[in-house]
Amino acid sequence: MQDLLSVIFEPYVFVPLIFPGITVAFLLLLVIIWLERKIAAKVQLRYGPLYVLKPLGGAIQMVADLLRYLFQEPIIPKTVDKLAFIMTPALLFGAAYLPTIAIPVSPTFYAFRSDLSLLIVLALSTLAPIFTVVMGWASNNKFSLIGGVREGYIVVSYEIPMFLSALSIAILYGSLDLVEIAEAQKGIWGIFLNPVAAITMLVLMYMSTSKFPFEIPEAESEIVAGAYTEYSGILYGLVMGASYVKLYVLSLVFTILFLGGWNPIPGFMANDPLLPGVLLFIKAFIIIVIGAFLRAVYPRFRIDQAMDLGWKTMLPLSIISIFISLVEIMIMGGA
Amino acid sequence: MSLEERELEVLIGPQHPASGHMRLVAKIDGDIVVELRPNIGYVHRSVEKLAEVKKYLQIIPLVERPSLADTTANNLAYVMAVEKLLGIEPPPRAQYLRTLLAEINRIHSHFYGMGIHGVMIGSSTAYMWCFGDREPLIELAQELTGARLTYSYIVPGGVRRDLPQGFEDKVEKVMRYLENRMPDYFDIYFNNPVTRARLEGVGVLTKEDAIKLGVTGPNLRASGVPYDVRKAEPYAAYPELDFDVITEEDGDAFARVMVRVREIQESIKIIRQVLKKIPDGPILDEKYMKMIPPNLRKQVEETGHIKFPGVFANLRVPAGEAVARVEGGRGEVVFHIISDGKMSPYRMRMVTPSFRNVILFEHLTKGARVADIPAIYGSLDYFPPEADR
Repeated sequence: MQDLLSVIFEPYVFVPLIFPGITVAFLLLLVIIWLERKIAAKVQLRYGPLYVLKPLGGAIQMVADLLRYLFQEPIIPKTVDKLAFIMTPALLFGAAYLPTIAIPVSPTFYAFRSDLSLLIVLALSTLAPIFTVVMGWASNNKFSLIGGVREGYIVVSYEIPMFLSALSIAILYGSLDLVEIAEAQKGIWGIFLNPVAAITMLVLMYMSTSKFPFEIPEAESEIVAGAYTEYSGILYGLVMGASYVKLYVLSLVFTILFLGGWNPIPGFMANDPLLPGVLLFIKAFIIIVIGAFLRAVYPRFRIDQAMDLGWKTMLPLSIISIFISLVEIMIMGGA
Repeated sequence: MSLEERELEVLIGPQHPASGHMRLVAKIDGDIVVELRPNIGYVHRSVEKLAEVKKYLQIIPLVERPSLADTTANNLAYVMAVEKLLGIEPPPRAQYLRTLLAEINRIHSHFYGMGIHGVMIGSSTAYMWCFGDREPLIELAQELTGARLTYSYIVPGGVRRDLPQGFEDKVEKVMRYLENRMPDYFDIYFNNPVTRARLEGVGVLTKEDAIKLGVTGPNLRASGVPYDVRKAEPYAAYPELDFDVITEEDGDAFARVMVRVREIQESIKIIRQVLKKIPDGPILDEKYMKMIPPNLRKQVEETGHIKFPGVFANLRVPAGEAVARVEGGRGEVVFHIISDGKMSPYRMRMVTPSFRNVILFEHLTKGARVADIPAIYGSLDYFPPEADR
């Protein structure tokens, strides 16, 4: 038993599999979709999920939904490219969660520490959209194709400014190592030093995960469900979960970059593997909840308007954020 | 590549989340709509034909079916045409009650349209709110008429029921609720930057085109044409009421929604006036009232619920032709009845606003973007079953 526990708490195992890895991602999926429906229901003057686990307001509605997806027959249309059609949901989900391996939980607890962990996370997080595009193509359906192409358009318009605003923080702290970046924010958080970068990154994060008002690749009233139109059963469950997992990963990165990561954590707790992680998680969760709340407030942008926002507003802002970082370095006398 | 090779033909509907019962054949080039042909489908086909084998009173629920969110307009227009043939004029109290129901109906029809439009551009909140706020009005109509949607309230010579007890207070309460509620809509939906971006300048209909295409109702008024049947050819109690014809100048999707919102406020004004000015008196034409058996007549006078005189079952309408028009929630409703003196009309023709407004769809979507299709579609407040009669 002791051996088993020590194996589980081994960072190489714990970080990818438990926190922030796949287990927490799944748990979060169960909670956040329920919460999203609850928040929207609150705004819309109705109840939302109610009957599954009634005392807690239908809190495990998603478990019921998951079971339904699991046992629903996955219908695979005749005309699709079978291999690509079946493989992509799993790959999409995997790619969405993959970046968690490089996200540290505390100053001393991480799967692996690299000088370039920020780059690794960002690079891995851009893998997922490729599968959405493949999905749209493999479905052999015009709506799916349009959805896939839209995903492609959206990717090019969010990726560059999002990278620039993440890198402006790296410039500010003179490091691409997430542990170092988080540790450098012991005093003042990145969001206060460079609010422009924080705002651009937050908006683009929601854009990359198809949160309202950027729910463009799967716009229901226009292209049914975009690239996911032909999917059913657990395959659909996977593709739907993927964007939430991606949001979770990016929220963790956002927390580390701008909200001080696990700071402020009292000194005696710093070596505990779990507590800093809990703090990190709570902050990330708030970011996710804000994303869930947007659903209730905003309609959907048009693709050209979203691209305009990406290229004409966010790109200049992210470039400005780099200059802000450079100026601050000059004022503070170098990193 | 030639243009034809670049084009992608997309069939939107009838099994599409936003198409209703309609099928749209869209040719798109990238994200631009080259051509969009609406195919109105088969929902309530043959209402006009069925009317030729049904008795005059049986046709009332029949003509209501197609325009489910806006049934009073069809009910009223049909009955007005029949009344013209019969040569009777309903008593003033009945005229006011007709106006009252028509305006309650107009408000909840507008809410229906706005709600559907909201969900089409992705705002599920607007949808839920509109459908939620439609409920008190439906409740009011239900209390007045006994039915939730297809009221069949207006009959030749009058209306079926008098005002229930304490109805004025309930109406006032709902009107006050609506007035307090409208600012919320502006806060979260109409003044939302994304809503504005999606609707402003989208699907612009010029004044000239609107007149040329024969558009009616709020869609016409949003292009700056102050045409309203209630003013142009007053009917029911409208000549005695004070209200404005709402127009907007821009003619885009946002203007069309705004016309509806402002018409709701105008309707609230009308309803208040109706309740203030409503005269006492009978609610059914004297001629028919006399035909109710004396023992039943007493009950009718006590409860205010009409028990139909036997003549209604086999109502014979003198030979002739009559046309009646009213302003429904979605636009002008016209009924043309040709009678040959038998128990069923020789020919009945109905012109529904949605059928005239759908012509716009093809016109407005040319050169728009794919995402504009639902935005324009919703802003027209088009109701597929109504177009098909």
